[in-house]
Amino acid sequence: MKAVFIIFNQANTSHIEFMLDELKINGFTFFEQVQGRGSHTGEPRRGTHSWPEMNSAVITVVEDEKVEELLSCVHKLDLRNKDVGIRAFVWNVEQTV
Amino acid sequence: MSIYKSAINKPVTTVLVFVAVIVIGLFCYRQLPIDQFPEMDPPYITVMTTYAGASASEIETNVTKLLENSLNSVDGLKSITSQSKDNLSMVLLEFEWGLDLDEVINDIRSYVDMAKNNLPDGCSTPFILKFSSSAMPIAQYAITADESYAGLDKILNDELLPVLNQVDGIGNLTLSGTPERYIYVEVDQQKLDAYGISLETISNMIGANNLNMSSGTVKMPKEQYQMEVRSEYVESSEIADIVVTTTMDGRQVFVRDIATIRDTIKDLSLDEKFNSRDAVRLIVSKQTGANTVKICRELEKEINKAAKMLPTDVHIEKVYDSADDIQQSISSLEESILYALLFVVLVVLFFLGKWRAALIISLTIPISLIVAFIYLKFVDSSLNIISLCSLSVAIGMVVDDAIVVLENITKHISRGSSPREAAIYATNEVWVSVIATTLVIAAVFIPMTMLSGIAGIMFKELGWIVTIVVSTSTITAITLTPMLCSKLLKARPVHVDENGRLVEDDLHTGWYQKYIVGFLNKVDVWYAKALQACLRHKALTLAFCFLLFFASLIPLASGQIGTDFMQEGDNGRITVNVELQLGTRIDETLKTARKLEARFCELVPEIRLISTSAGSNDDAGVSAIFSSTTNYKISMRITCSKKNERERGIFEIAEVLREEMAKYPEIVSFQAQTSGGMGGGGTSVEVEIYGYDFDETNRVAEQIRQRIQENVPGARDIINSRDKDRVELMVNLDKEKLARHGLTSGTVATYLRNRVNGVTAGLLKDDGDEYYIVVRLKEENRNSITSIEDISIPAPTGQNIKLSEVATIGEYWTPPTITRKSRQRYLTLMVTPYRTSLGDLAAAIEQEIGQIDIPNGITYRLAGNFEDQQESFADMGTLMLLIIMLVYIVMASQFESFAKPAIIMFAIPFALTGVIAALLITGTTLDIIGALGIIMLVGIVVKNGIVLVDYINLLRDRGHELSEAIAMAGASRLRPVLMTAFTTILGMLPMALSRGEGSEMWHPLGIVVMGGLLVSTIITLIVVPVMYALMSRHGERDKEEKNRKNFIFMQIADDRKPSNK
Repeated sequence: MKAVFIIFNQANTSHIEFMLDELKINGFTFFEQVQGRGSHTGEPRRGTHSWPEMNSAVITVVEDEKVEELLSCVHKLDLRNKDVGIRAFVWNVEQTV
Repeated sequence: MSIYKSAINKPVTTVLVFVAVIVIGLFCYRQLPIDQFPEMDPPYITVMTTYAGASASEIETNVTKLLENSLNSVDGLKSITSQSKDNLSMVLLEFEWGLDLDEVINDIRSYVDMAKNNLPDGCSTPFILKFSSSAMPIAQYAITADESYAGLDKILNDELLPVLNQVDGIGNLTLSGTPERYIYVEVDQQKLDAYGISLETISNMIGANNLNMSSGTVKMPKEQYQMEVRSEYVESSEIADIVVTTTMDGRQVFVRDIATIRDTIKDLSLDEKFNSRDAVRLIVSKQTGANTVKICRELEKEINKAAKMLPTDVHIEKVYDSADDIQQSISSLEESILYALLFVVLVVLFFLGKWRAALIISLTIPISLIVAFIYLKFVDSSLNIISLCSLSVAIGMVVDDAIVVLENITKHISRGSSPREAAIYATNEVWVSVIATTLVIAAVFIPMTMLSGIAGIMFKELGWIVTIVVSTSTITAITLTPMLCSKLLKARPVHVDENGRLVEDDLHTGWYQKYIVGFLNKVDVWYAKALQACLRHKALTLAFCFLLFFASLIPLASGQIGTDFMQEGDNGRITVNVELQLGTRIDETLKTARKLEARFCELVPEIRLISTSAGSNDDAGVSAIFSSTTNYKISMRITCSKKNERERGIFEIAEVLREEMAKYPEIVSFQAQTSGGMGGGGTSVEVEIYGYDFDETNRVAEQIRQRIQENVPGARDIINSRDKDRVELMVNLDKEKLARHGLTSGTVATYLRNRVNGVTAGLLKDDGDEYYIVVRLKEENRNSITSIEDISIPAPTGQNIKLSEVATIGEYWTPPTITRKSRQRYLTLMVTPYRTSLGDLAAAIEQEIGQIDIPNGITYRLAGNFEDQQESFADMGTLMLLIIMLVYIVMASQFESFAKPAIIMFAIPFALTGVIAALLITGTTLDIIGALGIIMLVGIVVKNGIVLVDYINLLRDRGHELSEAIAMAGASRLRPVLMTAFTTILGMLPMALSRGEGSEMWHPLGIVVMGGLLVSTIITLIVVPVMYALMSRHGERDKEEKNRKNFIFMQIADDRKPSNK
C-alpha cells in the first residue's frame, strides 16, 4: 500500500474528483484549503492579496500497482495547463488498522 | 459558505431572487408618482395680525416689531422679513430647508402666545399660516367665447366646474375674469335732490318689494292650504316699476323716474384676454401629495369631454399645464438613460468582444437601477428630475464591479478551468477589492445626503440613490455575475491531436480579433512605450503636468469661468409685466395691452399663446395672491412653441420683447421674465438696501438702479420691491359741522360708500342662481372731485346736505408698505442676468454700488440667488473636504498605507484641469450642479487610480522590481481602466448633449464629469505610476534588509556539538 499525496490548485477540484472516480479509487482524504509554494516553478498559493489563489490536497492510500496509473493521470492533468499547477508525492504506508 | 459560492451552487435560487427583485422593482415603478422635484415643503411660515384702524407705521411699532423680537429666537430660523400695511402686519419667517415644519409651528405658536399680551387691545390674535407648495396652481386654461361671453360665468359654473371637481385629487378651481351678471340701479343725484329722497330709500324700497314669505295656513272646510306672498322679481325690468315715494301732491315716483336700470355684467376692473379675445382664466390647484401628472391628464380628458357640451363659440385652451413640463423633462431624462445604457453596452462589447460577456455585464445595469425604484417607493418619493438624473449618473458606474469579476473569471477559464470552478475561485480572489471600490463611491455619495439647505434637498436623493444602486451592482457582481459566468461562458475550445498533444483551437479569426483586438494591442504597446519614457524622465513629466495644471487655473483666476446658482431652464414661457403711468385708467391700459400683443406676435412668430390680464379683480379668490395687477399694470403670460421646434432660445426672445417695450413712452417700467413659477430656477441678484428713512432709501435705490441700468450691460429686469407711492383721494371731515347736522364720521363714510361703491339692495333669482342688485349713483355723479363734493348726505334732520358742506376732498400720497428684514426697514432691487453669469453680475453690481456715496445709516448687501449660490458653494466646499478625507480613509485602510492613497489622490487636481477646459470650451458657467460633478469626480477619478496602484502593489509584493512592476501593471490594467472610464464618460454623454426640455439644469454635470474624467484618466495612467516610482524609492527598497533585522535569531552561533554522522 502506498499513500499518494496530491496537491493541486483549487480550480482543478472537479478534475481530481473525476480522475479518482475514473480510476476506481474510493478512499481519500480531502483538505479543501491548503497553502504552499513550489520549489522551482510553482507560484505561491497563499490566499493573500498578492497571491490570492489557494490549493487543495488529497491523500489517498492505494494498492501499489495503482500508483503508476494515478501519477500518470496527475501528470496528464499538469500537461493540460502548467500554470494551474498540480503535484503528487508517494510514500509507503507502514501499517493500517 | 460564501455568498458567491452559494450563488453559483444554487443558480435557480439566484436567478429567482433577482427576478423577484426585478418584479418588485417594476411593481414599485408603476406605482411611483411622477413629479418635477422631490416633495419639499417650502420652509416659509407667515404670522398675520390685523389691527383695524392702525396705519402702517403704527402697525410697525406696535405689532410687527413686538412679534419680530419674540419670533427671532425660534430654532432653525434663517431670516425674518415683515410687511406692515394699513391694518395688517405680516411677518414672514424663513427656515432652513428640510426642517420638520410642524414642530417649528408649535414653537412659533408658543412665541406668539408670549408676545400676545403685549400687543395693543383691539389687535386680532396672530394667525399662523404655512405656505404649501400644493397651493401653487398646477394648470391654467383660457376659456374664450364670442356671443356666449356674457353668460360664460353661468355656463362654466353650471356645466364645466361640477364635472371637473370630480377629478380625484383636485384642490381648487378658480375662475378669474368671469363676466358676472349684475343689476345696476344707477341713480341721478339731481333727481334725488329734486324729490328730496335718499339713495338708501330707493335701495330699501327695492329690497322690501323683493320677497317671498309664508303667510300661514288656510283651513277650509275640507282642505288645507299653505299661503304665501310671492313678490320676488322674476325679471330685472320689474325693478323700474317699483314706487319709491309719493310726492306731496300725490304723484307716485317710480324707480325709473330717478334711475336707470342696467342688467349687465359687472363693471370691468379685471380684463382677461387670450390671444386678444375675451377670455376667462381657469386656475387649478391640487391637493397636497396628489399626483400632478395624473390630475392634469384626467383634467384634460374631462375638459375635452365637457367642451362638446358647451356652446360652439366657447373654446377652452390650455395656457399652462405643469404635467407637460414634468413629462417632457422626465421623458427627455428617460431618453438619456436609454442612450447611456446603449453606450455602456457598446463600450463593454467593444472591449470584450464577446456577446455573452457583454450580456452578463449589461444585465447588472437594469437590476441595479430597478432597486432604486424600490427605494423611491419606500421613502414615498417620486420619479422626478433628481431621481432620474441620479440613475443616469449611476449607469456608468454600475458595470465596473461586474467588469472586474468577469475579467478575472475569463482569465481562469482561459487557463483551462471549468467555468464553474473559474467563477468560484476567480470571484474569491477579487471580491474584497470590489467591495473596497464600492466603499469609495459610498464615501463620496453618503456625505451628500447630509448637506443642509436647498442643496441638501436636491442632493439627498441623489446621494442615496447612487449609493444604493452602486451597492446593488456590487452585490450583483459577486452573485449573479459569477453564476451567469459559470453557466454562459464556454471553456476555451481545445482538442487532443493524433500524437496525444493538446492543441488550442485557433481563435484568431473574425473581424473583431483582427481589427479591434489589433487596435487595442497597439494601444497597449503605445502606452507601454509612453509610460517607459515618462518613467525615465520623471522630473520632466511632473513639471509638464504641473505646468498644465497651473495653466488651467488661469481662466479660473482671470474670471473667464462664470459662476451661477443653477442654469435657467427654457420652458418656453415668458412672463411680461408692464407698468404704465400711475393712475392710468383701465381703458387706456387695455389699449396699450392690445398694441403690445399685436407687436409681440409680429416680432416673435414663435409665440403660440398670449394670455393677458390687466386691472384687478377686487374680490378675486385665491388667485389674487398670485397676481398683483392693478389698473395701470399689465401682466402677460406668453407661451412659445416647444424648445426643439424653434431656433431662438427663450432668453433671446425675451430680449426682443424688452427692446420692443423700451420704445413705448407710456411704459414706465417693464420686465420680461423667463422663469415661470416653480422649478424654472430663475436666477437673480438682489440688492437689499437697509435704512429707516423711506426717502433716503428710495433715493439710494433709484441711484443704484440707474447706475446698474447704464453701466452693467448684462443687467435686465430691475425690479424695486417697494411699490411706488400711490395717490388716493382723502375725504377730510369737519367734525364740528358734522355734529351740527347730527352726523358722525361713521355715518358719512357709510353713505359715501353706498353712493360710490354701491349698496346691495337684494338678489335677483333666476334659474337657481342669484345676482346682485346694486344701487349707486350714476357714473357722471361720481367720476370727479367736484361731482363727489356734490354728493348729498341725508341728515337725521331730514334735509340733504352736500358733502362739500361738511368735508374737503384732497389728494394725498399713501404711505408705502413698510417692509423689514432682520428687524430693519429695507427694500430690494432684483436684477436678472442676461448673457452673463450670476457671479459676474454680482461683481459688477458690487462695483457700481461702490462708486455711489451711500449716506450714513444706510447699508446694503447682495442677496437673492447670488446669496444662495455663495451659501451652496461654501457648503459644497466643506463637503468636498469631508469627502476627500473619507475617501482617503477608505483607501488608506484598504492599502494599509498612508502614502499610497496620496499617490492616487494626486490625480484629483488634474480632474479640475479637465473641468475647467470643458467649461471653457462649452462656454458653460459653474453652478451648484457643476460643483456636484466636481465632488463626484473625486470618487470616480480615485477609482481608476485604485485599480492601477493596487496591481502595482501586488506585483511588487510578488517580488518584481519597481519599474518592472509599474510597467507590467500598466500594461495589464490599461484596458480595465479605459473601460471603466469610458463607460462612465459615455454614460454621461447623453446628459451633456440632451436638448430636451429641462435638460439645461443637468448639462453642467455631464460636461464637468466628462471633461474631468477624460483628463484625469490620462493623467492617472501617466502621473500616478511616475509618482509611485518617486515615492516608493524610499522605504521599500531596503525592506529585505529591515526584515532580516527582525529575524535576528539567524545570526546566533550554532553551538551544537558536531554530530557523529
